[in-house]
Amino acid sequence: MKKSGKFIFQKYDTENLINRRAALVTIAKAGVFSVLVGRLAYLQIAENSNYKKLSDKNRITHRFLEPERGIIFDLQGRPMAINKQKYEIIIIKEETRDVEKSLVNLKSLLPHANIDIEKILKEVNSRKKFIPVGIIDDLTWEDFSKINVNIHKLEGIYPQIGFKRYYTQGESHSHLIGYVSPISKNEEESNPLSKLSTAKAGKIGVEKAKDAILRGKLGNKNIEVNASGREIRELDRVNSVQGNYIQLTIDSELQKFCYERLKGLSGSVSVINVKNGEFYALASSPSYDPNIFSKSISNETWENLLSDKYKPLINKSISNQYPPGSTIKPFVALAALESGVSHKETFFCDGKHLIEDTSLESGYKTFHCWKKEGHGNVDMTKAIKVSCDVYFYQIARRIGINKIAEVCKRYGLGEKVFKSLYEEKSGVVPNKQWKLENLGSRWMVGETLSAGIGQGYFLTTAAQLSLALAQLINNGMRLSPKLIYDIETSNVYNERIIADPKYLKIIKNALDEATNAPGGTSYRSRIIGKYKMAGKTGTSQVRAISIKEREEGLIKNKDLPWEKRDHGLFIGYGPTTDPKYAVSVIVEHGGSGSGSAAPIASDIFKYLFEKKLNLKRNEIFNV
Amino acid sequence: MFNQNNFYSSAFAKLQSINYPLLGLIITLFFVGLAALYSISNGDFNSWPLKHSQRFILGLIIFFLVIFFDLRLIFGYAYVIFFLSIISLVIIPFFGIESNGATRWINIAGISLQPSEFVKYTLILALAKYFHSINNDSSFIKTLIIPLIITIVPVLLVITQPDLGTALIILLGGISLFWISGLNYKYFIVGVFSILCSLPVLWQYLKDYQKDRVLTFFNPERDPLGNGYHIMQSKIALGSGGIFGKGYMEGTQSHLNFLPEMQTDFIFTMLGEEFGFIGTLLLLLIYAALIMISIRLALKSRSLFSKYLSLGVCNVFFIYVFVNIGMVTGLLPVVGVPLPFISYGGSSMLAVMFGFGLLMNCYINRNIIIEKTNY
Repeated sequence: MKKSGKFIFQKYDTENLINRRAALVTIAKAGVFSVLVGRLAYLQIAENSNYKKLSDKNRITHRFLEPERGIIFDLQGRPMAINKQKYEIIIIKEETRDVEKSLVNLKSLLPHANIDIEKILKEVNSRKKFIPVGIIDDLTWEDFSKINVNIHKLEGIYPQIGFKRYYTQGESHSHLIGYVSPISKNEEESNPLSKLSTAKAGKIGVEKAKDAILRGKLGNKNIEVNASGREIRELDRVNSVQGNYIQLTIDSELQKFCYERLKGLSGSVSVINVKNGEFYALASSPSYDPNIFSKSISNETWENLLSDKYKPLINKSISNQYPPGSTIKPFVALAALESGVSHKETFFCDGKHLIEDTSLESGYKTFHCWKKEGHGNVDMTKAIKVSCDVYFYQIARRIGINKIAEVCKRYGLGEKVFKSLYEEKSGVVPNKQWKLENLGSRWMVGETLSAGIGQGYFLTTAAQLSLALAQLINNGMRLSPKLIYDIETSNVYNERIIADPKYLKIIKNALDEATNAPGGTSYRSRIIGKYKMAGKTGTSQVRAISIKEREEGLIKNKDLPWEKRDHGLFIGYGPTTDPKYAVSVIVEHGGSGSGSAAPIASDIFKYLFEKKLNLKRNEIFNV
Repeated sequence: MFNQNNFYSSAFAKLQSINYPLLGLIITLFFVGLAALYSISNGDFNSWPLKHSQRFILGLIIFFLVIFFDLRLIFGYAYVIFFLSIISLVIIPFFGIESNGATRWINIAGISLQPSEFVKYTLILALAKYFHSINNDSSFIKTLIIPLIITIVPVLLVITQPDLGTALIILLGGISLFWISGLNYKYFIVGVFSILCSLPVLWQYLKDYQKDRVLTFFNPERDPLGNGYHIMQSKIALGSGGIFGKGYMEGTQSHLNFLPEMQTDFIFTMLGEEFGFIGTLLLLLIYAALIMISIRLALKSRSLFSKYLSLGVCNVFFIYVFVNIGMVTGLLPVVGVPLPFISYGGSSMLAVMFGFGLLMNCYINRNIIIEKTNY
């Protein structure tokens, strides 16, 4: 096997060979060590400043601090919307290596909690990676501490203490005050709080209207964090600033009373101070508990609220529009007086009024009085007292729709009362131009007659009616309607409006008779006592009555399905001697105004008179 | 003849002839590790530092035990020791303890040990005996295939655990002995060439996470939160340390847990962060001095066995240091290799003390001549 000169091992001189090989290895080792030293010099000296920056970026994190929302008080200074502490958990995408894994770990930790991993993942991915996204909004203390103990398994997930809005008055104030919920996509740009996904914004009512004032200012802090993002210490901080307080003109006790009085009905109440335009109550029924929105609300609850036929989510005092019906009559009467109609002039009512209509076979169209057999001879006072339709058909026809519209608009109908409430509707006061612009056709004479009794195209809201009446019975003082005390409306600005006190006296007297004289439409609801109320009922039709039905006899409201029944309305003021309050009541599909709405108004006035509520502002100062 | 007096005097003589600079450097390194672990545990001596000390004391006991054995006895039982260590590797899949997806540990009397750490040295022992014993005129198969087989077997066993890092060290340690023993350099050229050619094939056999690590090594930013995380954070820790470091126990990267497992494989970065370039350079110098002394001691031995064994131990130790520091500085892929004497880890501490015990034994018995035996 031995082949000369071809050794597998070079073993001529073993000793030397080993020394030589060992020396070579030593040289190689020295070379390798030099490389290591060079590498360390490169990292630690040449690249030091870069790595220093990275190391600082690693350990220093910026966090936003949620501001506490401003508190909403009522007239008397009772807090109506406050903040409570709550335990929540959030996740920050850039601080976790695997969002889904963290969420899965969290879910296994809180098996009973409702964590929709897919939904949260979607939310996390749709936002900027440093924006914290809420996972669970309102945690029990037990769960909160469980999370804290197991925090090391939940990379990027942070338990924190946040604020939740709490509404002390519950459902009686929910439409008015509104509620808050997470900031939506389209609000993100205008709301600086959107940097904090857990922050909320007002969605409706005062919460939305005054969101910019209530929300406060974000604070922020720089914190040193460890690798899993846990706060080790705070380096610096700018505290968040609580939102400003807001005081409403609403008296929460009165509001609650009004709401309770509407229980079981669908409708609304508006109470206004006739002297300064402050709204003391704006109640709507049915309602919902605004506190359910403080937690994430289930789809089912939301769907139920949306599909409820009594529309609990809608503020019926400002967002639902109704034909005013006979409640418009005092304003039509005022228009007539201003047009030169004497209040003494009488018209004959035989239960119907005919006008020519060549399109019909008979050549004329019949307009019926609500009283089939008619009222006989009626003057203005009696017409308002008994709500004679035929009288108003005739004066409406005489003075024309434009005059009626002009007066109604002057009193605030067809215009939003509170410019700040987004959900408010403006109503409609029709005239010839309006019809041409909106419906594209000419005005018909018959439509003037309908408008004369508050039907047809006329639409108003409860708040509008109470404001209009207030300005009618305060001797024509224009009011700046007020709901929120803030800088813009703190100076009461009253201006006389063009209304002859002589005319207003006639109408006031007629309204007094309508309630306090036998035969008046709301006589049954009159208040017997030192202070009295006066007012006008209204019944607005929601269906067309066919000729056939008229001949066979009108179907009684109680025999009709709920949604076909007439709306019952009432506008009233009191005390009659020195009016302080104007009230409007609308009961949806309540039948008649005298039957459904007037008794409620009566109860509200009694409450106002008897309780002698000190409806004076108890000022809340911003501290 | 073998009475107690005699034993004590010979033990005393052995203690006297120990190379104390080497032992001193070992103890210095232990204290560096102790200081590092004390910092990492945020000043809690009772956690890692205490256990580290206990292990070092146990390591010292092993070191002295190895010294007191007769070198000829060690030579005689070299294959047996190697065989036993292989057996311990073989039984791992059946009795081993699994952790993090790898089965590397066995439990002996309540202590979990990592046999692969010891195999590094037992292989050197076996190869040293082998190369000592061969005749140059032996057949090709006998002279090359057998040592190749005894090298490849433990490497393959360790790869399947899986533990690529340790397998590589075993392999490199073994190969280094082939070189020392004077194998014709042509074989190394052929070997390197064939390894390069077989790389694409070997790639197929790597586990996914191992492939990831290799890919990440070439581009750490590929996956900064996944596999690249360790190396990125490690480089940040080292780099942000600068020349003078952030100060003892002031390292933000290490104390805020940005460095995972920093008490084991990444402990060097923590030292680099807190003591800066000055600190890492000093540490490298200590290691260099230890290696230089080891080489010097190794070459003093008269027998080939002692030289092979000592140089082999020294090479394994060097590879340890190089792979660990190369890994944490981003020069090498992350392969889970501890930094000897400093990293927290029992088996590696005991094994390295075992290794240096062998080295010291060879030095003490440097004048002993060992006959070639029939293997």
